[in-house]
Amino acid sequence: MDYPEPIAKLIDSYTKLPGIGSKTATRLAFYTLGMDEKDVLDFSKSLVSAKKDLTFCSVCGNITENSINPCVICRDATRDQSTVFVVENSRDVMAMENTRDYHGLYHILNGVISPSAGTGPEDINLPSLIRRLSEHQEIDEVIVGTNVTAEGEATAMYLARLLKPAGIKVTRLAHGLAVGSDIDYADQLTLIKAVQGRTEL
Amino acid sequence: MELQSLRLVNYRNYTDLTLNFSDGVNVFLGENAQGKTNLLESIYVLALARSHRTSSDKDLIRWQEKEATISGRVKKNISDTPLSLHFSNKGKKARVNHLEQSKLSQYIGQLNVILFAPEDLELVKGAPSVRRRFIDMEFGQMNPLYLYNTTQYRRILKERNAYLKRLQMKQTTDTIFLDVLTEQLVDIGSQVLLARQTFLERLEVAAQPIHAEISNKRETLTLRYQTSIDFEKGTDLATIKAVFEQTLKKQQTREIMQGSTLVGPHRDDIQFIVNDNDVAVFGSQGQQRTTALAIKLAEIDLMQQETGEYPILLLDDVLSELDANRQTHLLLAIQDKVQTFITAPTLSDVARQLIHAPKVFHVQQGEIVLEEQVE
Repeated sequence: MDYPEPIAKLIDSYTKLPGIGSKTATRLAFYTLGMDEKDVLDFSKSLVSAKKDLTFCSVCGNITENSINPCVICRDATRDQSTVFVVENSRDVMAMENTRDYHGLYHILNGVISPSAGTGPEDINLPSLIRRLSEHQEIDEVIVGTNVTAEGEATAMYLARLLKPAGIKVTRLAHGLAVGSDIDYADQLTLIKAVQGRTEL
Repeated sequence: MELQSLRLVNYRNYTDLTLNFSDGVNVFLGENAQGKTNLLESIYVLALARSHRTSSDKDLIRWQEKEATISGRVKKNISDTPLSLHFSNKGKKARVNHLEQSKLSQYIGQLNVILFAPEDLELVKGAPSVRRRFIDMEFGQMNPLYLYNTTQYRRILKERNAYLKRLQMKQTTDTIFLDVLTEQLVDIGSQVLLARQTFLERLEVAAQPIHAEISNKRETLTLRYQTSIDFEKGTDLATIKAVFEQTLKKQQTREIMQGSTLVGPHRDDIQFIVNDNDVAVFGSQGQQRTTALAIKLAEIDLMQQETGEYPILLLDDVLSELDANRQTHLLLAIQDKVQTFITAPTLSDVARQLIHAPKVFHVQQGEIVLEEQVE
């Protein structure tokens, strides 16, 4: 016997989420059936709203509400206008904001350059960064905070090559030991990187 | 190190078998298809948690059974460690000293083995990729940074080839990103080149006396590292980088035309030279066997230098492939040094005379029918 169409469709929708196979999707679908109608309605509204009411900031590429564009960070005149922190996605912005230690601006690439995955330099939010830098001469440092993967490193190096000739200081986040960690627990490669990037006291 | 005992439960064609081994040479004798190689394989699996014959752990479980266990005791200079591997449809569990290990990487390395099987002749005769895999596997076991670099190199190469394809198809004209990929490729690739060069030098030093011994001092073995990047022995990393970069620059137009990276460690090869001739091309079957054997035996010494312990040696049906002279030298080379496990349908007279006090297990249809300690 097949499931009635409404629940079969719901299961099918759940399987489209990452990390969810048909069994988990079935469990979630039946759980949804047992939920309060109000909660389910709110849930469906949030799903639609996340897609409909959000857009990418026209300046930095971060997600923002349709009515607030440029985003709150780009509008905030009290922020340091001379530094731009380049990250791969909006989640990285939140991680950085949670430190409460960085008060400059951001630029979100929404991806990394990876030709094997079909993403070239022109396919990520890079051209807008170049435009932004030429329009805002007050920006004098670009901090590159892409992930420490081969693709993240390649993207960082590409940025450096593009921006350095324009006289903009390009810096890269350090890699090494995690704060509060024991050296004997660190993996060998992290240790090797930490030794290579050691600093004088 | 020595494997003192082995217990197999529902493994391949064995129901429940316990064996106690000699520290010297152990021989599994029997007709074909009785389970000799299964025994040797079980030791390999106990060491590396995977088989060299199958990629599916299910094959290791006895027909119609649900779980299999291999356990053994390993003696190192001061310690005596029980190891066990349990296979079921849920996966495998590895235990060291009865403690379950959450990562297989913590388990592998407790017991070091080197296997020599007839297929290993491919090392000399086979495609260059076989030899590159050999260096990557063997050297990677000893050097984690090398292992990481080879993986990174493959990833960067894939990106670079994909970008060259884009340039070839004129989907982009931006060569700055190509320069970035080139810089990354040169940076990691040069480290791979230097590490391979160093490893091969050490392998050559270890293999030469063994090869001379087996060939009755009539032949000299040299290893020639063949790479598309032209550098001499003893060149430092900075110079290798410069040469690699120049070589790539020269090829750039051709690379874009062909949409592929044309030079680098992914095109490397090793030439085995015996008395000035390339063994793969001009060598006899026997010379090729001797070379492969010398390389494998040299690995034993390298592993000893690296880990401080001799690994154990597994010889699968190799003796029958060698003539009396080569058998003699092989057996002399391992004597009183390395614990060895040999499978053979029969033992030649040479082997009988030479192997000092072997322990012989007669294998018949998944059982040991006779165990004899030859004096």
